[in-house]
Amino acid sequence: MIPDVQYAMQQSQQNLSAALQQVSTGLRVNQLSDDPAASVNLVKSLATSANIDQYTSNVTSVLSQMQTADSAISSIVTSLNTAITLGTQGATGTNSTANRAAIATQLEGLLTNIVGNANTSFQGASLFAGTATSTEPFVAASTTYTSSNGSTASPLTTATGLNAGSVTTISDATTGETMTFTAVTGNSIATLQSAVASAVSAGTLSAGTTATINAAGQLSISTNSSTEGLVVSSNDAALGAMTAASGTEVADAYAYVGNSNVNKVQVGDSLSVATNLPGSNLLTSGSNVIGALNSLITALKSGTTDEVTTATSAVQTALNSVSNQRISLDGTLSQLESQESYLSQETVTLKSVQTSLVGANLADAATNLSAAETTNSAVLAAAAKAMPNTLFDYLK
Amino acid sequence: MSLSTSLSIAVQSLNAASGALQITNNNIANANTPGYTREVAVLQEAGSSSDGSVSLGNGVEFGGYQSIRDELLQTRIEQETQTQSGANAQLTSLQAIEPTFTTSTTDIGTEMSALFSSISSLSTDAASSTLQQTVLASGQKLATAFNTASSTLTSQQSALNTQVTQDVNEINQLSQQIAALNPKIANLKAGGQSDGGTLQDQQDALVLKLSALTNVSITQSDIGETLTTGDGTALVVGAQSYALQTSTGTDGMEHVLNQSNANITSSLTSGDLGGTIQIRDTTIPGLLTSLDTLANQFATAINTAQASGYDQNGTKGGDFFTASGSATSITAASITMAITDPAKIASSSDGSSGSNGNLANLSAVQTTKLPSGETPGDAYASMVYQVGSLTSSANAESSAATSTLLQLNDQLNSVSGVSTDEEAANLIQYQQAYEAAARVVTTIQSLFSITMSMGTNAAA
Repeated sequence: MIPDVQYAMQQSQQNLSAALQQVSTGLRVNQLSDDPAASVNLVKSLATSANIDQYTSNVTSVLSQMQTADSAISSIVTSLNTAITLGTQGATGTNSTANRAAIATQLEGLLTNIVGNANTSFQGASLFAGTATSTEPFVAASTTYTSSNGSTASPLTTATGLNAGSVTTISDATTGETMTFTAVTGNSIATLQSAVASAVSAGTLSAGTTATINAAGQLSISTNSSTEGLVVSSNDAALGAMTAASGTEVADAYAYVGNSNVNKVQVGDSLSVATNLPGSNLLTSGSNVIGALNSLITALKSGTTDEVTTATSAVQTALNSVSNQRISLDGTLSQLESQESYLSQETVTLKSVQTSLVGANLADAATNLSAAETTNSAVLAAAAKAMPNTLFDYLK
Repeated sequence: MSLSTSLSIAVQSLNAASGALQITNNNIANANTPGYTREVAVLQEAGSSSDGSVSLGNGVEFGGYQSIRDELLQTRIEQETQTQSGANAQLTSLQAIEPTFTTSTTDIGTEMSALFSSISSLSTDAASSTLQQTVLASGQKLATAFNTASSTLTSQQSALNTQVTQDVNEINQLSQQIAALNPKIANLKAGGQSDGGTLQDQQDALVLKLSALTNVSITQSDIGETLTTGDGTALVVGAQSYALQTSTGTDGMEHVLNQSNANITSSLTSGDLGGTIQIRDTTIPGLLTSLDTLANQFATAINTAQASGYDQNGTKGGDFFTASGSATSITAASITMAITDPAKIASSSDGSSGSNGNLANLSAVQTTKLPSGETPGDAYASMVYQVGSLTSSANAESSAATSTLLQLNDQLNSVSGVSTDEEAANLIQYQQAYEAAARVVTTIQSLFSITMSMGTNAAA
């Protein structure tokens, strides 16, 4: 009988420990073997939770970034509206040259603001540069850029070979477009020259832009007007770095040197949002905002009333384009806000799934514990009673 | 019929009573000795003799003692012990492995999720060096989680390997001891005793210990018990015991060989040795293979995604994970980070540092099926399930066997166990018998005196 008693006490003790563990951890499943199926479902559910948590965090980061962008665009729109008012004012026949000059100066101020807004960065990355976020997208343009390689002693020639894979970009401030030339084996400066010519015919670059070898033996890329500017860059070792020729800076002219690529961030299992608006889409597609302002300033300084009127309506067109772009940004912003509330609901749902998988119903667990304690006491009492008296006790 | 015959009958009674008292004493003394089978006195009526036409009894013959055994119950207990030991051996090992696959802050599942979270976080600002550092740190933690899981399994396997050698040594010792008892018991039986008595008790205890170690089949014959294991390999035949050997196989594990050097490892299926071999040779290698496959395929998928993009310097992405040291392929034990420079994370799809286009390819590894047919998360979850359900089964088997053993032992106790109440009653019984026989002797003695003094004057 003793082994029976021992076994009963052991079982009762085990049940008591298990009940106590449930109450103190709040979990019904404390090791895998307690419920293998529930344990596996928990593992999968936790992985989903981790994703939801990350999406929530992503929404917050992206919202923050896009609200900054939206605020910059808002300033640009305000500035453009002011510019249109000023342009209209300047087109009225009663304006004197001095008045027009004054208006032009105000417009130059507005242009600086707009460029500043277009160059806004968020946590160190330019917002409107596409994916080329390490540099500012709108750079002051010059009429002429020259290569660092080449000298009178050893000049570059049209036959000078270019390295395969090298990239040369020419961004035009007037058209607002960029020509990108990637060299392949066998290309030379002559190939680059004809590429430039094609770009001009296509309208990517302003009419008259050429690539030539200058008197100093360097490659020189330039526009043919002192009011039209470019920004050139190249990573070809044969050319060396391209820099603006001194004194060739064009006032109020800025070229876009970013790209048009868009980053997407996942904020839901099947929802990714575009997180940036490339400057090329925002400010140069449809019409070149900066170029239009530049033309208006030039017209006010030295043009006819008709030219001012034409330039002002170009700025209006540009403003319409910016407003259109802004609509898609606002659309994304509200999509993010509703995703935020959806995700927080999902978080709650998942938590309750996980609790139901492995959590102990505390009321039940407490009741079980109290029952186990009662049973344990009963077993011990019964054991004491059952410990047999032997006959010897009675044979005195 | 004479007084002296009566006297010798009385003396026989005294012997019988004192012999029975001695047996009762022995039972009481051994009431708590494990494996002791209670003895009863064998008392037989002595053959009667005839005196003319009258047939008279010749008293009692004390025929020694007999142990009360139930051999069938004993056999069932031995079998259940094999099952219980086997299940316990498996349970202990599995419980040591369970924590590795239980959700914590550092298990493989958690670290894998953390890595994907860090990659997603990086996609909000691909050029951020803080976020890049976090990705590298997460990658390292995942590699460490794999390394730890693998080493827990291999060290468990190693411990089991040592256990195999120990078990085999113990088996050999027990075989020798059992074999030594066989001729002694055979002699006793040849000498007229129907049962081996205390020696048989000893042998049964040894066989029970052996059952706890491995699967044994027992057959009785007139040369004693014959024990075989596994595929029929003899352990004990009569007075001869046959030792098992261990030798290191090509897999680095100890294999069990019989006397003819045949490998009998896979035929040892229960007892501590059987359970240990099952976990060492089947369960753990299976888990290690799954773990290595997951580590390898996961690392390859991540590396492929890296190679399809560009890093912060505009160069094509290189490997994210690699095999450490001199290992030729990535396994759970050898997986480690190939990148230490945060700029080498291939987040860009167009060569510029701000592009996050390739991170989508890295994130896609989470939801894409690996060559094994499951996503990384599901593959890990399958392993969790396997460990959990094996442990749960071993637990259930062990509990069931313990409960059955308890019942069987209870039954055996009711047959062969010493009941001190019964022995106390026997004490009284034999005490009274002795007193009565002594009184007979006294009576006969006084009768002798009276007889002697018949016809003399001294008794006046």
